[in-house]
Amino acid sequence: MNRQLQLHKPILVRRENLLKGGQPLAFFVGLCAALLLGSFILLAAGDDPLEVYQRMLSASFGDLEAFSVTLNRAIPLALAGLAVALAATMGLWNIGAEGQILFGATTAAGIAQIAADWPAPLLIGAMIVGGAIGGAVWALGPATAKAHIGVNEIITTLMLNEIAIRLIRYLINGPWKDPEGFGFVQAPALPEQSSLPTLFERTHFGLLIAAVVLVGLGVMLSRSAWGYELRVAGSSGTTATYAGISLKRKVLTVLVLSGALAGLAGGIELTGNATRLTETVSNGYGYAGIIVAALALMRPSGVAAVAVLFGAVQVGGQSIKAIGVSDAVSTVLQALILFGVIAAGILIVYRIKFAELGNQ
Amino acid sequence: MFALVFPETALIGLLFAAIQFGAMIYLASLGETIAERAGVLNLGVEGMMAMGAVAGFVFAIETRNVWLGLLAAAIIGALVASIHGLFAVVLGANQVVSGLALTFFGVGLANFWGTDYEGVRPEIQFVDVDWGALSDIAWVGRILFQQSPLAYFAVVLGGVVCFMLNRTRGGLALRAAGESAATTDAAGHSVLGLRLFAVACGGALAGMSGAYLSLSISPGWTVGVVAGRGWIAVALVIFGAWKAGRVAIGAFLFGLALALPNRTESFDLPWDPILWSMLPYVLTITVMIAGAVALRNRPPAAPAALGLPFRREER
Repeated sequence: MNRQLQLHKPILVRRENLLKGGQPLAFFVGLCAALLLGSFILLAAGDDPLEVYQRMLSASFGDLEAFSVTLNRAIPLALAGLAVALAATMGLWNIGAEGQILFGATTAAGIAQIAADWPAPLLIGAMIVGGAIGGAVWALGPATAKAHIGVNEIITTLMLNEIAIRLIRYLINGPWKDPEGFGFVQAPALPEQSSLPTLFERTHFGLLIAAVVLVGLGVMLSRSAWGYELRVAGSSGTTATYAGISLKRKVLTVLVLSGALAGLAGGIELTGNATRLTETVSNGYGYAGIIVAALALMRPSGVAAVAVLFGAVQVGGQSIKAIGVSDAVSTVLQALILFGVIAAGILIVYRIKFAELGNQ
Repeated sequence: MFALVFPETALIGLLFAAIQFGAMIYLASLGETIAERAGVLNLGVEGMMAMGAVAGFVFAIETRNVWLGLLAAAIIGALVASIHGLFAVVLGANQVVSGLALTFFGVGLANFWGTDYEGVRPEIQFVDVDWGALSDIAWVGRILFQQSPLAYFAVVLGGVVCFMLNRTRGGLALRAAGESAATTDAAGHSVLGLRLFAVACGGALAGMSGAYLSLSISPGWTVGVVAGRGWIAVALVIFGAWKAGRVAIGAFLFGLALALPNRTESFDLPWDPILWSMLPYVLTITVMIAGAVALRNRPPAAPAALGLPFRREER
């Protein structure tokens, strides 16, 4: 057969060496691609992408005050991302960070009711620690079921998210309904002394807590024997068993600790940003945390940076409501960033080659 | 017996709603079953349903035809699902992450698209079918034969999918792709093609499930109309042990659990309705734990290659 038409089909060929400096590059390319795709969606809806993006940028990074709001958002995102990343080192999926944040916040709110007259440091401390314990408790069920009878943790943790949000709804409508709410269905306001002090501008002390936890856990994972065992167990269960590592115990501790991290975010949110317990206290941070962790390649070091970026996208999303653009744009952008970076990441491992067709 | 304890109309209402919700959730679950049987876990059901709900409503309003709305929901659902197909199947990205991102994308885009349609009066919706004499039978007529056309559509589709999956060569190939991709590839089938097809089918069904919500159960578009039912659809696949028939039984049970919270007063049930609304999720967890205990020493029911990407050169 004479080939008159030169047909070229693009195929992916594995690179012999990974592209150098590829990861930051992929991140940048993916981010740009996401913004570009997002601008098409905005254009289709008749909005001006440049105006929207500019507003988002100035609302999140424009000045120190804007940046401090972004940092506040980054705190729960980073802790939720860390929770997911920690579970992922053992090959586990904690999709339940959302529920753990919610139950952590619920526990903290419960403590605030009991200990309403405690002095500020004691009350705030109890609420934040209570949040972490609440998150751990919320993860305990799926952790036990996974460790002992092998129940898929993805679905159990996911289901508990829906249960947690309904628990708060129930409490707000019933047992915890504000007696001074004038018929409004809401939880009572938190005691005045329960709000976290500010660090600078609008950023509260939660930033320090999150930073300490992030660095501490990062070091533990990469430098300690415990972290090493986790990574061994994550890459091969059989190897770990031969090496005398108890898998059951590791699964249990890692998932419970992961829940505690998310619950900590719930406690910090309640003391740092909220005036009362609401159904929206988590705001989807638990789900966004999964994307944050994935973008950070499940490494604690990357989680902080990605969390700040996502915090900015979310704060920016709130700001564009003022010009009549739905804040759903920020949800779409968060997904597009992940898709963009995954697609760009392919180019680190593969290169595109144009193969001629038809020369069999 | 029941009639002595409960008001008759309330019980009929409950069973009617159970089938209504059950059929709606079954469409999405059936789609997820197809995708998972081919080896692809898609956690984007919630997003695909949201897109289906908004697309169905918008197209039905603009074309003044509910069936065109349903078709649009199916096509949009399949297109949205294909994003997951591109990333999880073709590019081999992690399926959990890609699926969750799809939920973000779908829910976000649906809310964005639906902004102008929020609160628009649903001038058009699916009209319940009148089967003549059958629909007039006491009790049974109201429960089984006065449903939305989509309910019967879901039942028929369930039968078709059951037959296709279990009795045709294509269905066998699709299931094989979910059990052992390398073997399927060696047998001359395109694993990527089969999986992409399965994911798109799943999306089309999830889209129609969303349109069931926006064109029949609660006509109109509001933010959050899907309300976590996409997650139930995912759980239902596990409940039904990846079998289209057992998923149908589960769908009716979950339909019952979804319908009950609004009717606790008529049945004089204790506890707050909000506590009852936790039932589907508690049920899922209970069933999963019971299943794991019962099947302890038996091979797992899940497709062997579920969640594993396939790349030819890495066989």
